[in-house]
Order: sequence, then C-alpha cells, then structure tokens
Amino acid sequence: MITFDDVSLSFGRHELFKNISLELRGGKIIAVTGANGAGKSTFLKLAGKIIRPDSGEVKFPADKKIAVVAPEMKIYDNLTAIENLKFFAELRGKNLSAENILELGERVGLNLETFGNVRVENFSTGMRQRLKFAILLSVDADIWLLDEPTANLDDAGREKFFQAIQAAKFDKIILLATNDRAEVDICDEIIQLPF
Amino acid sequence: MKLFSSRFKQVVAILRKDFLIGMRQRATFAAMMMFALTATASLSLSTGGAFVEPKFLAALLWVVIFFAASAGIAGTFDDEATAGTLPTLKLYADAQAILFGKMIYVFLSLVALTIFILPIFLILFDEPTENFLLLFTTIFLGLIGLAAAGTLTAALTTSATVKGGLFPILLFPVTLPIFLPAISLTEISFTSAAFDMSSLIMIAAFDSILITASSILYDYL
Repeated sequence: MITFDDVSLSFGRHELFKNISLELRGGKIIAVTGANGAGKSTFLKLAGKIIRPDSGEVKFPADKKIAVVAPEMKIYDNLTAIENLKFFAELRGKNLSAENILELGERVGLNLETFGNVRVENFSTGMRQRLKFAILLSVDADIWLLDEPTANLDDAGREKFFQAIQAAKFDKIILLATNDRAEVDICDEIIQLPF
Repeated sequence: MKLFSSRFKQVVAILRKDFLIGMRQRATFAAMMMFALTATASLSLSTGGAFVEPKFLAALLWVVIFFAASAGIAGTFDDEATAGTLPTLKLYADAQAILFGKMIYVFLSLVALTIFILPIFLILFDEPTENFLLLFTTIFLGLIGLAAAGTLTAALTTSATVKGGLFPILLFPVTLPIFLPAISLTEISFTSAAFDMSSLIMIAAFDSILITASSILYDYL
C-alpha cells in the first residue's frame, strides 16, 4: 500500500497538490487522469518517492521495489536490446537466460531473436517502448508507475501491453497516468486530477 | 552481507556497462589521450631537448595527467544526464553502487591514460627513471585520489550550466593535497634520492578520506 499523508507540492506560485491524504492499494490498476498540466506525471513521481513533497509524506514499505515506464526514463542507446535487458535485470539481482530474454520479447511483441543484438539507437520509438516494457517485466518490481505507456505503440503493441499488465496486477500496485480511453478502460479505479 | 553482495553485483554491472559504452563511443578516451599527447609533445618541443629539472618534469607529468583526466572525468555523470539515462539508473541501482561503479571506471580509465602517456613522456623528455617501483606506486595512489575526487565533482557539476569550466576549478583544490606529495615522490623516483615513506602514507590516507567523503556526500546529491 502507498500512503499519501497530508502531501502538498507547489511549483513556484502554482499549488499542484494541497494536503492530499489517500491510500493506494495493490491488486488493481489505478488510472491517474486529468488535463495537461494537472499533475499526472508529478503524482506518479510523488507516489514512487522520485520527488519529495514540500510537506507531508509518502509512505510505502522500504522493501518494495519500483519500476517506471515514462518518456523521461530513457534506456541506453549505445547498448543492444539484450544488453539493456540484462543490465537492468542485473541491477535488481536477476540473471536472465537466453530463454528468459526470448520469452520477454514475445510477451511484449519484440522479436529479440532478430533485434536482440541491434543497438537501441537503431530502434523506432515503438520498439524502444516495447523494450521498456520488457525491462519492466524483467525486474520484478512491486510498484509499477506507467506514464502514458502506450503512446507510441501500434494496436498489436497496445494489446500485448494490456494483456501483460492485466496478468501482472494481482501482486502489484500499478499506477497509470493517462488520458487515453483504451488505457483507462483496463483500469479498476480512477483518480481524477486536480483533486 | 546480502546488501553488500547485491551492491557489489550492481557495481560490477555498472562498471561493465560503462566500459561497453566507453569502448563504443571512444570520444571520451580519444579526448583524454589526445590532450595528454598534444600537451606532452608541445612541452617537449618547447624545451628543445634541453635539460629539465626533475622537479619541474614531475610537476609537468601531473599537470598533463590532471588536465587530460579532467577532459574525461567531467562527463562521467553528465553524459548520462544528457542522454536521459541517469534518472533510470538512479531508479534501478543503489546510489552507492552508482558512485563506486563510476569511480572504479574512472580509475581504470586513468590507469589506461597513464599507461599510454607515461612511456611517451619519459621518452620525449629523455628522463632516466631510477626507482620505477616508487613511480608506479605514487601514480597508482595519486590516480585513486583523482578518481575519487573527480567522480564526486563530476556528480556535483552535472546540473551546472558551465560544467566544462567549473569542473577543473572545483577539482583542483580537492586534489592538491595529493598532488604536492605525488610531485615530490615522482621527482625522487626520477633521481636516486632517498624517499620518506610518510609521503606515500599521506597520499594513501588522503585517498581514504576522499573515498569516504565521496560516499557520504553522494547520498545527499
């Protein structure tokens, strides 16, 4: 469970969140929606303790691990897809076998038999996004923070993503910042911003 | 023990990743090597084969290493910040693992730089070295301190707008307590004079202080 305890955050004179208290429970996908500038991405960053509030506190157990798919969270262009996957998995104490890697690729619709040894700098935006999902699936995180995750995906990619996220939600807290109707439709709960 | 083992694996993973990227980009290595080569060649040509005092030569060697290192170390964190990978790295890896992974990478890069430039320097200045063991030990300890201070300074200047100029300005005073005894010991290694062990101990002690201080301060960046 992620707890927001009287959290406030401002950017200059713009007060984005004021005295927010809420609890986010696991086992479901929670959509965070709102107009541009409403603070969807910032809410996700607060939830993951990536940024600190001006006052109040965000709490979750210290042993819970976070994974993020967001436009500003880049992967290494100079590494191949497999090197990226292995690197991030190793950081979380996992060694991926060749079999694991191919299976991850299949789950996100990225042919790693063909593209596994290609440097990411040669990937299209959609392929990079699929690789980010593969990393997300490989690192065994307890909290997923997904910021407009299917923005660059084709229909097949979106379908793969929806399947993966539905299958994974039962033991995780999944926050999904979006204004996309299809993404909102797969969520179990909606947080509408501003509060 | 489990935490240490997990951090150690992260350090190894970050080190391996940095080497892979460093070998593929080569620009940073090339900049360091070319600076060292150009500076050494220019200094050698300007002396025109005349005798140069060992003390002056020792200082020149460390000046070349310092500025060549500055050209490479400054981008340690900045390259990741520019590429947008630093937030991802910080999310998945422990802060101390990032610091030590980068620090070891910087140290090994400096060792490679010194292996490249030291023989050229000694040949061009026609300097007969009397005590190689002392020279190598001094350089080894000096590079540890330079790597520790350089890595922390690189992390500090990542968000600065004029990092290119700021980096050597911030790094120099921090590394001065290492350079002074290192220059003195390098001079002794060029001659057959007796050396005082306390200078080596002083560099090693300052290395320890820099590594510890970097480790403590990095958590607050």
